[in-house]
Amino acid sequence: MTALAGPVRSRKPEEAAARRARARRVVAFAGMLTTIGALVGLRASMTPAATQALGSSGLAAEAGTNQPTHTSSSASKSSGAGNAPRPANRVVVGKAYDVSYGIVQVKVTLKGSRITDVAAVSLPQGGRSSDISRYAGPELRREALSKQGAHIDTVSGASYTSAGYAMSLQSALDKRGG
Amino acid sequence: MTMSTQRHAPLELHTGGIAASHVAVRLALFAGAASIVVMWWLDPTAVHGAGAAVTAAGRLAGLLGAYLVLVQLLLMGRLAWFENAVGFDRLTAWHRGLGTNTVLLLVAHVLLVVEGYSLSDHHGVVSTGWRVLSTYPAMLKATAGIVLFGLVAVTSARAARRRLSYEAWYALHLTAYVAVALAFSHQIASGQDFVGHPVNRALWWGLYLFVAAVLVRGRVVVPVRTWFRHRLLVDRVVVESPGVVSVWVRGRRLNELGAEAGQFLLWRFLAPGHLWSAHPYSLSAAPDHGRLRITVKDAGDHSAALAHLRPGTPVLAEGPFGHFTLGKSFGSRLLLIAGGSGIGPIRALAEELVLRGPQHHLDAVLLYRAGHARDLALRDELDDLAQRAGLQVAYLVGHRSELERDPLSPDAILDAVPDVRSRDVYVCGPAGMTHNVLRAMRELRVPVRQLHSEDFEMA
Repeated sequence: MTALAGPVRSRKPEEAAARRARARRVVAFAGMLTTIGALVGLRASMTPAATQALGSSGLAAEAGTNQPTHTSSSASKSSGAGNAPRPANRVVVGKAYDVSYGIVQVKVTLKGSRITDVAAVSLPQGGRSSDISRYAGPELRREALSKQGAHIDTVSGASYTSAGYAMSLQSALDKRGG
Repeated sequence: MTMSTQRHAPLELHTGGIAASHVAVRLALFAGAASIVVMWWLDPTAVHGAGAAVTAAGRLAGLLGAYLVLVQLLLMGRLAWFENAVGFDRLTAWHRGLGTNTVLLLVAHVLLVVEGYSLSDHHGVVSTGWRVLSTYPAMLKATAGIVLFGLVAVTSARAARRRLSYEAWYALHLTAYVAVALAFSHQIASGQDFVGHPVNRALWWGLYLFVAAVLVRGRVVVPVRTWFRHRLLVDRVVVESPGVVSVWVRGRRLNELGAEAGQFLLWRFLAPGHLWSAHPYSLSAAPDHGRLRITVKDAGDHSAALAHLRPGTPVLAEGPFGHFTLGKSFGSRLLLIAGGSGIGPIRALAEELVLRGPQHHLDAVLLYRAGHARDLALRDELDDLAQRAGLQVAYLVGHRSELERDPLSPDAILDAVPDVRSRDVYVCGPAGMTHNVLRAMRELRVPVRQLHSEDFEMA
């Protein structure tokens, strides 16, 4: 018997050590992903069912699909017949969107097709969300008025609210043609 | 006459067992990760639906990835607590082991967050990715950051390291600092856990500033202070044999440096071609003469260039590092085993033993393993040491295929050193050899606390 009969792994001990290290790294990474998955699962299972009922997905899920968008007009029929139709102020309420932190819904005041005001019907409330809504709301309104549309920039730190705001606003504007 | 400064924790730390202080470091690092999870958990975002769940997982991956990046920096920050409890070589091994997974976690963060948004938005992944990139604050910087992280990881893979020069790899590795800075701005500007969360934001800033302070102190202030205190200069460069070069370094108040035989320092020679890289080299002589010596085998472009260093060249040194020392209470019966470049520190230990020998009834055996007689470095010095009382030196030369058996197999060790079980064993050499010897020692039932080893394969 000579040493040649020895197992291959002992001939290249460095490579064996490297293989072991690689295997340890793979196991560690799998462990990290599993831990993250387990934590997310645990959190999701602890989320109250009432919130879950609002929408199946997180960002800007439509919460108000079965709640019809209504258009009201403050312009009365009393504006008189015969006159050229004066642009009247109309308030159009947009759809409500569930943006994970709460519901975002806006109403738009239109004069003709001009946006004269945007007001929030609902913004996320509670804890930090209230703070964010407080600073993001006026910012988003200003944007909407100056851009005259729903292509508004995301307010830093309020990306969900901004997205919901833009979508609710767009849904309202989609109705203005009528 | 000898250095007796004992800077480090007891020897048991490096014997393969896990000491309490070592466990404390691991626990502290895990506690940090756990508090990140708590922060993530306390975020009020409702996790309902597939999109929100995937996004939440992505956020957690990002937070933990960022934390691991900071841990990576801290492991290399020369933090005294870490160095004493874990040791430079193992910290380096941790850094290397964690590196790939850290970057993979960051990649997972990007993929999960984009996929989560895409699911919630009912938009394609690509268009969602573009929307995130173009609308969220600081996202371009973050993208540049992760590209750099990827580059750092890829160039550190074993296969790439073999093809890259140390200097090229090191320069690329330094861009990790840029990547950290680039990624930081998107965490603060867009991170759900930080925007509008002043406490979290302050803690996060604090964490980054702490790591930065550790790095500046350990990597800049201390080396510069060492320079002004010790003024290390190249004293002599000696070609020991073909491909083996010793560099003697002189300086002021060297005893205050506290270096011991068996330890190593990180050396940076202030000369063209050496300026941009610091290399870990062990002392190859007992630091007993007002001078320090390192001996380098011609293993790469850098070590070959050492032969051309001029006397008087300034040297920036970090260290000393390592627990591979005799310690205060070394027994008089030892077995030293060296292979490859491991002969440097082993020779220093042997010299230290011989210097202390007379009072200790020294009984030491030195086994020096080499594939070929021409690979034996410092042979004259070893023969010279072997003339002194109490030290036997045996050269185990030849490739395994030419020999009847592996001269470092349990049987062979037992034949050469029948009383191995009663000796303190010091092993230093290539990682594979060290591993095999330690396994052989365990088979021979040498008590674990008598085993001392240093992984010689470092950054």
